[in-house]
Amino acid sequence: MKFTLKIWRQESPKAKGKLETFNLTDVSEDMSFLEMLDMLNEQLVTEGKRVVEFDHDCREGICGQCSLVINGQAHGHNKHYTTCQTHMRSFKDGDTLFIEPFRAKPFPIIRDLKVDRSSLDKIIQAGGYISAFTGMAPEANTINIHHEVSESAFDSAACIGCGACVATCKNSSAALFMSAKVAHLAKLPQGQVERQERVIWMVNEHDEQGFGSCTHTGACAMVCPQEVQLIDIAHMNFEYNRAMAKTM
Amino acid sequence: MSSQRGLFKTSVMRKNVMAVTGLFIAFFLVIHLAGNLILIIPDSWFPIEFWGGVANQHDMYNAYSHFLVHFWPISIVAWLLYAAIIIHAFDALLITLRNRKANADDKYIKKDTSTSTWYSRNMGILGSIIGIFIVIHMGQFWLKYKVLGTEPDLYDLVVATFKQGWVIILYLIGIISLGFHLVHGVESAHRSLGVHQKPCIKVLKYIAMCFGIVMAVLYAIIPIIIYFK
Amino acid sequence: MALDAKIPEGPLKDKWQNYLDSKNIINPANRKKIDVIVVGSGLSGGGAAATLAELGYNVKNFYFQDSARRAHSVAAQGGVNAAKNYRNDGDSIYRMFYDTIKGGDYRSREANVYRMAQLSVDLIDHMNAQGVPFAREYNGYLSNRSFGGVLVSRTFYARGQTGQQLLLATYQAIMKQVKAGNLTEYKRHEVLDFVMVDGKMRGVIARNLVTGEIERHSAHAVVLGTGGFGKIFYLSTLAMNSNVSATWRAHKKGAFFANPSWTQIHPTALPQAGEHQSKLTLMSESLRNDGRIWVPKKKNDPRKPGDIPQEERDYYLERRYPAFGNLVPRDVASRAAKERMDAGYGVGALKNAVYLDFKTAIEKHGKATIKERYGNLFTMYKKITGIDAYKEPMKISPAAHFSMGGLWVDYELGTTIPGLYAVGEANFADHGANRLGANSLLQASVDGNFVLPNTISNYLSNDISTGPISTDLPEFEKAEKEVKEQIDKLLSIDGKTPVDQIHRKLGKILFKEVAMSRNEKGLKWAIEEIKKLRQEFWSDVAVTGDAKGVNSELEKAGRLADYLEIAELMAIDALDRKESCGAHFREEYQTEDGEAVRDDKNYMYSAAWEWKGDHKWDLHKEALKYENIEVKTRSYK
Repeated sequence: MKFTLKIWRQESPKAKGKLETFNLTDVSEDMSFLEMLDMLNEQLVTEGKRVVEFDHDCREGICGQCSLVINGQAHGHNKHYTTCQTHMRSFKDGDTLFIEPFRAKPFPIIRDLKVDRSSLDKIIQAGGYISAFTGMAPEANTINIHHEVSESAFDSAACIGCGACVATCKNSSAALFMSAKVAHLAKLPQGQVERQERVIWMVNEHDEQGFGSCTHTGACAMVCPQEVQLIDIAHMNFEYNRAMAKTM
Repeated sequence: MSSQRGLFKTSVMRKNVMAVTGLFIAFFLVIHLAGNLILIIPDSWFPIEFWGGVANQHDMYNAYSHFLVHFWPISIVAWLLYAAIIIHAFDALLITLRNRKANADDKYIKKDTSTSTWYSRNMGILGSIIGIFIVIHMGQFWLKYKVLGTEPDLYDLVVATFKQGWVIILYLIGIISLGFHLVHGVESAHRSLGVHQKPCIKVLKYIAMCFGIVMAVLYAIIPIIIYFK
Repeated sequence: MALDAKIPEGPLKDKWQNYLDSKNIINPANRKKIDVIVVGSGLSGGGAAATLAELGYNVKNFYFQDSARRAHSVAAQGGVNAAKNYRNDGDSIYRMFYDTIKGGDYRSREANVYRMAQLSVDLIDHMNAQGVPFAREYNGYLSNRSFGGVLVSRTFYARGQTGQQLLLATYQAIMKQVKAGNLTEYKRHEVLDFVMVDGKMRGVIARNLVTGEIERHSAHAVVLGTGGFGKIFYLSTLAMNSNVSATWRAHKKGAFFANPSWTQIHPTALPQAGEHQSKLTLMSESLRNDGRIWVPKKKNDPRKPGDIPQEERDYYLERRYPAFGNLVPRDVASRAAKERMDAGYGVGALKNAVYLDFKTAIEKHGKATIKERYGNLFTMYKKITGIDAYKEPMKISPAAHFSMGGLWVDYELGTTIPGLYAVGEANFADHGANRLGANSLLQASVDGNFVLPNTISNYLSNDISTGPISTDLPEFEKAEKEVKEQIDKLLSIDGKTPVDQIHRKLGKILFKEVAMSRNEKGLKWAIEEIKKLRQEFWSDVAVTGDAKGVNSELEKAGRLADYLEIAELMAIDALDRKESCGAHFREEYQTEDGEAVRDDKNYMYSAAWEWKGDHKWDLHKEALKYENIEVKTRSYK
């Protein structure tokens, strides 16, 4: 297969970026998208040029390190895929592919396609945990949790923290990311003690980090690789309002 | 526990304000529509001897208008409504500015928007159209009838206004915008307020869709019927 | 130097308690004065970092990813073992200990394994309390499943993403400590060298992968939770950036490296589809609970799997191992698959796979149940291959997965360098010559959360009045200079061959001769090839860009340089061990029907290698004593 790649190149966070065009031939349809970029980079190395920097690690869709906006969609056009799971067989031979970094003010570009998503960690730091220090825990089966509750908590907990929701959101809101954690912990009995503080602190930090407001366009849930549901945002809003009512 | 940001400054609170004001306005729209439906009910439908002997559309409508203007509790609701509209618009402006600021300086060169509906992304534009429409609409009726009192017979004023073609087009633009605004707004408002039970969320989408469509269709046929009558 | 494993006195079941009762502890007020560097943010490193911070130490956590939540523990799918005996199926701490020792083919240390089994019980409680959404029965109690190599159900799981859920709990604990100010994160930092002062580990030299700066960081002790090095095979189930550099460079500073050749080849990964491939995605072993493995009885059978009738299928695991069937340990399953494929029965375009079939299970339990158990794995399979595994069998193939070998550590998880500790997959301790499924998450978490934080205080109690270690010491200066020199060297070779191409060559050499099946001739050949490749690397590698700022090619080159050194040691280690045990299968030592033959008389030891400079090593043997278990021939028939 043959592709024309238009890739965002940017030297540093403050530098001006622009698209650079590459032509790539002999791409196999069994290649993953990132293997296609590996191939490009090998060619660049043999030409003595600096490679295109992009984030990736596990390449099986679970670590959340790979990013990229491909042809205007976070993680590419396959719904609920990560970039590393996207294979070249899903593109047409001869296509032009626009490859851009995740864009949002709280995700400054490090170089080329690599962005800094530390702002997501900050939201978790604000309260996205249960404070159970090592050694404190009671016997596991003393906490009885309904099967459905546990499954539902898992649906939210599955978030891989890739930031595609932010990248795709027209408001650069991290509501889906944040709400997945709020919902996961609010659904479980273990999470009840810190329930109120958690959501208030996390929402505050979310805003502090400069993310936008959710306007429920639903685009985030459409691209989420783990199919975290939009309903979690409503759940978070409920938790927030409940917490505010309780503290007033 | 203390909140670092002011009560109404967090992203979630701002959306609560949007939701409450929005739903209040939506509720008003139902009442407003109910009254205005008088305009398309044929004379033959009015029972004789009803409501002090009134027996036609003209008198019924004027009586209804008179009641709205002169029954004092209504004016409290009216002032609440004006406040809701202004707060809704002002809050929307603040949220939009904030969201713009959250976007990266470099925009996507290629953006695929197939993951969301166009109207959900353009609530601000739809809202602005509705805002302009409200100003014109109030200038045509509220100002002349209630404030200036230059047109004592509201029914005649309404019929005369809707006999102009450009008014009909203007109204259709405003009302279609309103319909789309409601379809997304009613659903979004409930989500903002925290309705998250699975069965509710499932029907919410359809309720909002029906609400938006029914409101838009009924509001639109009133001027059209009058124009062609 | 004689290896002292420092195993505490007393009966096996009391050793850990005896240790805790007699070790030195540190007053909370003094802990604040002590700096600990933890490298790695996974279940072992991250668990250690969070727990040490909870205890009040001043923790500096280094990792190369952009967030602690991305450590490769995240990718573990199937589950975590614990001897809870919730199923009333006769499980116990002793039985878990027994299974692990047996699974490891009697090549692991009794005391360590027993401690791991004991602490498994606490670990489930701990993770559950942190909000890990473990699978539950409809009565609300925790659910279990079986894994290879055991006859009880002791595996706790969270769908097929158990590693992710445990890691996120650990990550959240780290995040809390960051906020509390007890833990400083050094993200996108790669530790490239270690600094020893007066014979003790006192700090690291790290490269900031964003700015390119070489930084000095000091501490009173350093903990390595840097995982395994299966990525040395290039094609493996590991993350692309997983590497051996930290442990290897510690090895070159004096930490012994134990059993480097023991690499687990996982039987259920996706087969390679072409030369370009960078990764072999793992399909959890838990699939073998319900999936049946088979190949056609006829060579090169062109029919679709669904068209091949039952009587023409060879369920070779069920045939060869009737007692354990599809649930034999990984090394056995991988070798059996290799045997079938070598004999010409492989399936798929490259004849490099076997079928894993769910038809029987779907008929028995219904699609909904199978979906709930493995839904995400089926989805993942479809995403990568485009095939719906509810309708036709998966194609799977063995792939390099886990390093049983690692830095040699004593009972306290201390390496042979005072003040340097290794936890999780980075050490060699608990799995012997083969790791059982769902013991990896367990070992990493137990080491990080429960063992290391307790043992390290025994060492650090001597440092309460040492005060901060200055990074201006000449030792830091020297180490920094060496790191900079290596980077300059890599950038100045200006050769023609990209890093990945050399890495692929290395992987092929290793997978051919130092993987599932080894022999003397092949290993000797491999050693020569590795030496040649190392020369090629240092004379012809192409690294573009510069040392300032992000340069992923430079990162890869540095990692490959280390792989090219440890690869030789792997082959030397495999050559030296003239027996077959666990994952180490020497063709010269097998029975007539192809089962492994151990030599307990001569090889019942852990091989700890000491770096003597210039690719020369000395072998130190830690004899293994089995006082609580009868050493038998491992059989799953």
